[in-house]
Amino acid sequence: MFISTLQKAVAAATLSAGLIGTTNAADMPAPFDNPGEVKIALVRYLSTGDFFQSYLGGVESQAAAIGVDLRVFDSRQDAALQADMVDQAIALGVDGIIIQHGLTESMKDAAQRAVDAGIKVVAFDVNVENDAIPQVEQSDYLLGKMALDQALEDNGNSFTAGYVYVPGIAPLDRRDVAWQEVKDANPGITEAAMFGTLDNPIANSVANQARSVLQANPNINVVFAPYDEFAKGVKIAVDEAGLTDDIDIYSADVSTADISAMREPGSAWVATVATNPAVVGEVSVRSLALMLAGEDPGANVIVPPTLITQSFLNENDIKNMEDLGEKMPQFQHADVAVADWIPLPAR
Amino acid sequence: MKNDRFLNLAIRYGFLVLLAILIVFFSLSASGFATPRSAVFILQSVAITGILALGVTCTLVVDGFDLSIGSVATSALMLSAYSMVILEHSAVVAVLLCLAMGALVGLINGLLIVKFRVPDLLATLGMMFLLIGLQRIPTQGNSIATGMRLSDGSAAEGTFSAAFLWLGRHRFDFFLERLVPVPVVVFLLIAVAIWVFLELTRHGRLMYAIGSNERAASLVGANVNRYKIVAYMISGVTASIGGILLAARLGRGDIASGNNLLLDSVAAALIGFAVLGAARANAFGTAIGALFVGILLQGLTMMNAPYYTQDFVKGVILVAALVFTFYLSARRGASGKTSTNTK
Amino acid sequence: MRKLVCQLQGINKSFGQNHVLRGVDFSLFAGEIVVLMGANGAGKSTLVKLICGYHTLDDGSMALDGEPYQPADPASAIAAGVVTVHQSINDGVIPDLDISTNLMLDQLTKPRAGLWVRDGRLRKDAQAVAQSMGITTDVRTRVADLGVADRQMIAIARAMARAPKVLILDEPTSSLSAAEAERLFSLLDTLRQQGVAILYISHRMSDVRRVADRIVCMRDGAISGVFADQPLDYDGAVTAMLGHSIQETGIELASAGKPVLALKELCIEPDSTPIDFTANEGEIVAITGLLGSGKSRLADILFGIKPPGAGEMFLDNQPYQPNTCAQAVEAGVFMSPKDRSSNAVVPEFSIANNMSLPFLNMFCRWGILSSRLQKSASDQMIDELGIVCQSANDDINTLSGGNQQKVIVGRWLLKPCRVLLLDEPFQGVDIGARRDIGRRIRETSDNRATIVFVSETDEALEIADRILVLHESRVVGEHVNQQINMDALVEQVSGAQVTPSVATSS
Repeated sequence: MFISTLQKAVAAATLSAGLIGTTNAADMPAPFDNPGEVKIALVRYLSTGDFFQSYLGGVESQAAAIGVDLRVFDSRQDAALQADMVDQAIALGVDGIIIQHGLTESMKDAAQRAVDAGIKVVAFDVNVENDAIPQVEQSDYLLGKMALDQALEDNGNSFTAGYVYVPGIAPLDRRDVAWQEVKDANPGITEAAMFGTLDNPIANSVANQARSVLQANPNINVVFAPYDEFAKGVKIAVDEAGLTDDIDIYSADVSTADISAMREPGSAWVATVATNPAVVGEVSVRSLALMLAGEDPGANVIVPPTLITQSFLNENDIKNMEDLGEKMPQFQHADVAVADWIPLPAR
Repeated sequence: MKNDRFLNLAIRYGFLVLLAILIVFFSLSASGFATPRSAVFILQSVAITGILALGVTCTLVVDGFDLSIGSVATSALMLSAYSMVILEHSAVVAVLLCLAMGALVGLINGLLIVKFRVPDLLATLGMMFLLIGLQRIPTQGNSIATGMRLSDGSAAEGTFSAAFLWLGRHRFDFFLERLVPVPVVVFLLIAVAIWVFLELTRHGRLMYAIGSNERAASLVGANVNRYKIVAYMISGVTASIGGILLAARLGRGDIASGNNLLLDSVAAALIGFAVLGAARANAFGTAIGALFVGILLQGLTMMNAPYYTQDFVKGVILVAALVFTFYLSARRGASGKTSTNTK
Repeated sequence: MRKLVCQLQGINKSFGQNHVLRGVDFSLFAGEIVVLMGANGAGKSTLVKLICGYHTLDDGSMALDGEPYQPADPASAIAAGVVTVHQSINDGVIPDLDISTNLMLDQLTKPRAGLWVRDGRLRKDAQAVAQSMGITTDVRTRVADLGVADRQMIAIARAMARAPKVLILDEPTSSLSAAEAERLFSLLDTLRQQGVAILYISHRMSDVRRVADRIVCMRDGAISGVFADQPLDYDGAVTAMLGHSIQETGIELASAGKPVLALKELCIEPDSTPIDFTANEGEIVAITGLLGSGKSRLADILFGIKPPGAGEMFLDNQPYQPNTCAQAVEAGVFMSPKDRSSNAVVPEFSIANNMSLPFLNMFCRWGILSSRLQKSASDQMIDELGIVCQSANDDINTLSGGNQQKVIVGRWLLKPCRVLLLDEPFQGVDIGARRDIGRRIRETSDNRATIVFVSETDEALEIADRILVLHESRVVGEHVNQQINMDALVEQVSGAQVTPSVATSS
């Protein structure tokens, strides 16, 4: 039900994407009638890794499309430093701030100080408990849910599953909610083993574990690995055990490397569900722009995820993220936080 | 006297007996544990950390330490991917580049330590950070995979060549078809080579002498500085071999700090102190130490133990091994002294 | 009669089967310096360690001020008023802290010491202690920046800050120059007047002559002589210590062959007087001198560890300029260094591995070490030197000091050489092992030149054909070892007779 609503929304977004024409600065409301004078800051907590690189790319391209002056502050997982950086941004006299990740405890007060200084703030993936600050989110719950729906569609509602999970990691915990729901709703699903580790390099460590798990539980035919590093590790183990035909892997997130892994001949990795981090970055900037122009993006701005199947990749000969964006427009753009006057990044 | 004999036996064979008990226990309690395939899985899961551990063993022998091995391995991972995917080199070039990089890092570590007198822990710690940062620079922090967008806007055309992937994925027939993976063979070869070098050649003997009493070794004419640099170069090269095998297994250039690789391999080398009551770094002990950790983790995973228990268990073994080494061996040494130290 | 402070009666002590002390009776009086003499291994260290609480006695009794005295550990000995300054100075001071903290360390470790360190107060107290001991250095100086003598003085000053009844000094001058030693002696004079009972352990005759009120000699774990009548009978004391008179050790002079090692205008220090010296084939030359006389530096120069200040060296008439030990060994110059535990012994190795370390090449087949070859060579050396052990595979740490030294000297006898340098080969070696080593060195000396660096004159007399005396990096005396004028030799060593011309006697 939920999914079909979402699909409609996505379809609508696809249609409307074509309708959005280019605009120029003169048509934009204040303060964007002179966008070069508008300063915004991105204050980051997490920055290393493909996801965060891609997110930053989205923020940069959307900011460039509008023409605003973007400053990037990177605290590199230092919570206290991130709060200080918000204060630095305030002192710099920015008009808007995007807070990207962080800890509620350390960011709550800093965000309030920014709001008090008359600065518009949006937060991505961090709850700063402030009504004046809209939350941009990628729905982790939906990521898990859509992958599992695909698994049910492919395998029926009765299968033996391996589940890769490390508790205590917020996005994984939110994806876990979907798994628990689906398990409860389908008594035919048996969870034969749960494993997982975040030991670096994650794929290698998960591969070692998955080898043991598959050895101990030869009847597993579905692995739910709701994080692409997990899926990659499981795929290595499945290949090494020679079980590619017997096991299907369902995961979340996507990258160029993931696409090539999914498209390897006979790959067991059949589907993944992902939100394009660049799109999330664009949505973050657009939400902030709406607020600066005096419009309301809503308290929660949710960027819908997209299902990507192995067969879709093969049929369209998709090699990398750029191909994926071209062939799957709903992945390239989300019709969230848009306005006629906001120019979209050039494709 | 009887007590002494028992103590000696316990120190010498205690860890091997523990290993045997562990194998029997898992064979009985985890179905599918006691099979040749399972044995090979274990070897495969410890091959890479084992190779790194053998390198760090060489630095421990000269009373040094190499904290940079984990990041050398992940740098080799990135370098091989960069070389093949972006520069479109062949597998041979990629492998040679990685080995040269490992040797160069070892050389720099060695020079920092012997020429610039930087304490080993600090020099290699610095090198660790340096490499973690350096491996991100060429790709602006992105992982490397075929088809990735390059800074000039085009897509990377190169691929991991089949010959390179062979290193991580091929399996030799051995009794059973497609049983023994290449990394396991490489691990065993390196283990034998390092063992022969350390135990049977005069260079190895001199390295032990340097580790035990550097001044005495230099006063018998050993070139202490050169041996130390060689030890760090061996460590760098073995770490880069580990990184190459890792890249071949993963098939892409992942950004990673390699700190877990470092910790696991140091643990294996330290557990190795306790094997056969050696009370010092040795190649055989290191290999056994790596296996010990591998068997335990494989068994626990097969019994569905959650991941955090595994870290805990690793810690327990390490502490136990260190007690074996430093307390029991010291007691043996002390009792040996009072009975024979006649003045 | 002076007040009896400390009395020991019928002391026995064994380590395993080794009976180290056999019924020792011993007493100390207030205001008296007793010198305890004994060769290495005579048992004097053990006796000291009993008194200062490191060991407990097996049998016998100790009394302090008439009360029974049985220290359980060093701390309770100190609490009872028995304070010891050990031979190894660095055990007594903390180099990274300043003088005042070092002097006042006891104040800081007192159970009821306050939380805060009051530096001003500390310095004032320290200043008072330092002044009373004749230490003039600024108390804020870091101990690491001080010379050996000053550190020694601080270790003693700290001992004195505890106002001891009994002060034990274990070879306190072993690392001091003559002038520095004199400062120590005048300090001891002061303490004697204050009524402290002082036990002074040394076998350096110049010290003994200077400070002793009474001499107690030990040999083989028992008191072998007590000399209290003035004037003290020093020769008698030496005889009691060694079991024979110092002149008795007859050396049959070897006939010197062709010159092997020649030093021309060689300066030990960049600004020191050049020395000329030739060591001949078949001959054993002892080079003796106090600490700081330059003999250790000369040994280092010959072995390529340190560069000479100036001048040239020739080996078999060829220029010889080693830059590293490896080059020296290559040229056929071998050296057994002083202080074996830090410079020579590899503690984790077996006897065979320790012995064969310099020449592992010789024991390789196809690049692989043969433990069989190592063992057979070591076994032969064990026989020749009379090393007491179970087998060549024993850990070196299971050996006594003397046997360890034999292994280290044996190391360099495995292969023939042109020049054998032995730096303090008898350091920490009991008299039996010393004889064994000396005998073996003389037996094998035919085809090389041998140079022995020793600070003890009697060790030089025991082994050498010729004795050279160094003082402040120049040769001040040369003696053929036959009816030596002992007084001249001793004066030259102590620097008392410093004349520009080289003094000789024959």
